[in-house]
Amino acid sequence: MNKIWRVAATEYLNAVRSKAFIIGVLAVPVIMAISIGAQFYAQKKTDVTPRRFAVLDRSGQLYAPLAAKAKARNDAIRAGGQSVAVPLPGQSLKVDLPPQAEFVPEEFKFASDDLKAAELQLSERVRRKELFAFIIIGPNLLDARATNGADVLYHTQTPTYQDLPAWLESTLSAEVRERRFTAAGVDSRQVRELSRGVPVQRLGLAERKATGEVVQAKRENRIATMLVPVGGMVLLYLVVMTSAPALLNTVLEEKMQKISEVLIASVPPFQLMLGKLLGTVLVSLTLSALYVGSLTWVLWQFGQLGNVPGQLFAWFFLFQVLALLMYGSMFIAIGAACNEIRDAQSLMFPVMMVVMVPYLMFIPVMQSPASPFSRGVSLFPPATPMLMFLRIAIPPGPAWWEVALGVVLTVVFMLGCVWASAKIFRIGILSQGQAPSFARMIKWVVSK
Amino acid sequence: MTPPPLTQTQRTAVRLTNVTKTFGTHTAVNQISLAVPIGCTYGFIGPNGSGKTTTIRTILHIFHPDSGEVEVLGERSTRAANDRIGYLPEERGLYKKMTVRRVLAYYATLKGMNRADTAQGITHWLAKMGLTEWADKKVEALSKGMAQKIQFIAAVIAKPELLILDEPFSGLDPLNLEVIRAAILELRAAGTTVIFSTHDMAMAETMCDFIFMIYRGKKVLDGTLASIQQSFGEDTIRVSCAGGADLLRSLPGVELVRDLGQSQELRHADSQSLLRDLATRTTVRHFEVCKPSLHDIFIRIAKPDSQEMQAAKTTGGGS
Repeated sequence: MNKIWRVAATEYLNAVRSKAFIIGVLAVPVIMAISIGAQFYAQKKTDVTPRRFAVLDRSGQLYAPLAAKAKARNDAIRAGGQSVAVPLPGQSLKVDLPPQAEFVPEEFKFASDDLKAAELQLSERVRRKELFAFIIIGPNLLDARATNGADVLYHTQTPTYQDLPAWLESTLSAEVRERRFTAAGVDSRQVRELSRGVPVQRLGLAERKATGEVVQAKRENRIATMLVPVGGMVLLYLVVMTSAPALLNTVLEEKMQKISEVLIASVPPFQLMLGKLLGTVLVSLTLSALYVGSLTWVLWQFGQLGNVPGQLFAWFFLFQVLALLMYGSMFIAIGAACNEIRDAQSLMFPVMMVVMVPYLMFIPVMQSPASPFSRGVSLFPPATPMLMFLRIAIPPGPAWWEVALGVVLTVVFMLGCVWASAKIFRIGILSQGQAPSFARMIKWVVSK
Repeated sequence: MTPPPLTQTQRTAVRLTNVTKTFGTHTAVNQISLAVPIGCTYGFIGPNGSGKTTTIRTILHIFHPDSGEVEVLGERSTRAANDRIGYLPEERGLYKKMTVRRVLAYYATLKGMNRADTAQGITHWLAKMGLTEWADKKVEALSKGMAQKIQFIAAVIAKPELLILDEPFSGLDPLNLEVIRAAILELRAAGTTVIFSTHDMAMAETMCDFIFMIYRGKKVLDGTLASIQQSFGEDTIRVSCAGGADLLRSLPGVELVRDLGQSQELRHADSQSLLRDLATRTTVRHFEVCKPSLHDIFIRIAKPDSQEMQAAKTTGGGS
C-alpha cells in the first residue's frame, strides 16, 4: 500500500512541477484573457470610416426619411457612450457597444430611364472609392401588392461588411411598413399594439412546504438552469480530458525508456498501475480545485453563487474521480500494449469514441433531461459521470434511485476497467516487438 | 548482538528447482535448477536470447514460472524479498527529465528506504562514483557512462542482500568499468550476494566464484571455473609461431583456431605430433598445453551442433 502512495506522490509531483502542468493551468484563463483582450483591442481598431453610399430612389419618397434616420444615427454615434444593459438576476451589467461607422447617404438623381447606365456610373464611383456602396430602391416598393420593382438592390465591392445592408434593410422596412399602413388607412400605432408578441414567462413549480404553506413557483433563472449545468459539465470534461490521456504517454514513455522494468522489480504491476492512476487523480483534482475555486470566486463577486447548489460541488468531484479512474485505466492499458507513439494512434480512436459519447449526447439530454433517452444514456457507465452530472445540475434533477444506480453501475464498470487494465499492464509493460491489437489485449485479459 | 544461526534455506540466496517458462510456443527457460549460495558472486553467461534475462526476471518474480519453484532469500514464490534485492536491468531505465537526486530518491523509496537513509546513501554513492556535482542535474545531461553509474547506484542504494546485474559492464570505458567492478567487489566483500550476467568471459573468469551458462533455455554449465575447466580437460594448445593462424589452420587435425594476435589457441588430438609437425615447418616460439579458457568453452558450446552441446544435452547440464 505504501508503494502505491509513493508512486502516486512521485507521479503527482512530477506532473505539477512540470512546465506542461503550469502552462496547462494557465492556458484556459490566459487564452480567455487574450481572446477578451483581443476583442476589446479589435473593437478599438474597428474601421469607423464613414460609409458613404448613393441612393437611387426610384420610388421618389424614401430618400428623405432614409437620410433623416441616417443623420439621427450619426448624431447618436457622435454623442458616444453607446451601451446595452445585460440583465442578471438581482443586477444589471452594462456592456459597451463597439464603435460604429457613420452612414452618409447622397441622393443620386438620374434623368434618363437607362438603369444600366446608372448602375455602371455608380459602380465606377465605388471602384474609385468615392462611394462605399449604392442602393437602387425599386419604383413599386411602397405598393404592398406589387411583385416587380418592389425591392432594394444593394451594390458594393465589400460584401463582407454587414452593418450597412442590415441597417438599410431594417430602416427601409420600418419606413415602408409605416407608409403602407397609412396608405391603407390603418393606424400604424394601433397595428403595433394589436400585433404585440405574447411574453411567455418561464417558471418552475409551486410547492407545498411541510408546514402546509404553499410556495409560489419562482421565475426561471437562466444562470441556474443553463449556464451552471452546461458550464459544470464542460469543466468536468475539460479537467478529465486534460489529465487522463496523459497516462498513455507516461506509461508508453516508461516502457520505451526501459524504466518499467526497474519499477516492476520493486513494485508489483498492479500497485504501480494504481499508483499512477491515483497520481493522475490528484493532479486532476488540483487542476479542478484551481478552476472551480476561481469560478466560485467570480460567481461570488457577481453575487451569483446562490445559483450553484452546494451539493453540485460534491457531485462534480465524485464524478471526476470516477471518470478519471475509468478513462485513465483505459489509457494506461493502451500505453502498456503499445511499443511506440505511432501504435497508440490506431488504438486511441475507439477509446476516444467512447470518451466522446457524453460530449456528443449532451444537447438532447439538456433539452429533455427526464426523457427515456436521457435516462438510458446517463446510465451508460462511460457517459454517466458527465451526463448524470448534467441531469443533476438541471433542476429539479433525476430521481435519487437513478443517481444511485448510475453511481453503482459506473463504480462496477470502473472496477472492471481497472481489473482488465491491470492484466494488460502486467503483460504489456514488458512485451516488446509485438504489434498491439485489441485481440491481443483481450487475450491478455483472459489469460491467467 | 550475535546474528541468529542460519538455517539451511537461508544459506542459499537463490534456489531454482526445475523452473520452466514459456512464451507462446517458445520455451525460454527449460527445467532450470540452480542454487546460489549466500555471499558469492555468480556469473550468468550464454549467447543472446539463450534465457539469461528470463531467468533473472523469474528470480525477481517479474515472470511467474509455468512450473518449478523459485526461492529467493528464503521467500518462496512471492515478491516478499524484492525489497532486499537490487536490480540493474540490461537496458538502462532512468527518467530523463528528473534530476539525478530525485531519480535515486524515488528508486530508493520504492525499496522501502526512509528519507534520511536515502539522502545519506545518495551523497555517499555519488561521491564514490565521482558524480557529486551532477546530483542536481537532469539525467538527460549525463553521458552514457555517467547514466550507467547512476543506474548502478539505483540498484545498490537500498543496501540489497542480493544484487542482480544484467550486463553491468556493457558500453563502459575502461575507467568507468574499473569503478563499477571495484564497487561490486566491495559489496561482495561486505557479504552481498551478486549475480551478474556478462558477455565478457575474462571478467566472469576473474570475478565469479561460480559460473552458470544457459544455452537455448537449458543449463549447460554450472560450477566453479576450476571444476568447469576440469571437466573439459587439458585439451587446449597455446602456440606462438612464425606463420601464425593461417599456417596453423592449414595443418591436419587442427581445430577451433582462435587468433589472439601474438599467439593462437587451438585444439589437436595429439599435441606431441603437432609440435613435431610445427617444428619441421616453422619457428616455434611458444608451445603450451593448457585448460580451455571460459571464452573457449563458451564458443565450443554455443557453436551450432557442437560436441559439447550434444554432450550437455545428454547429461542434462554442467557439473
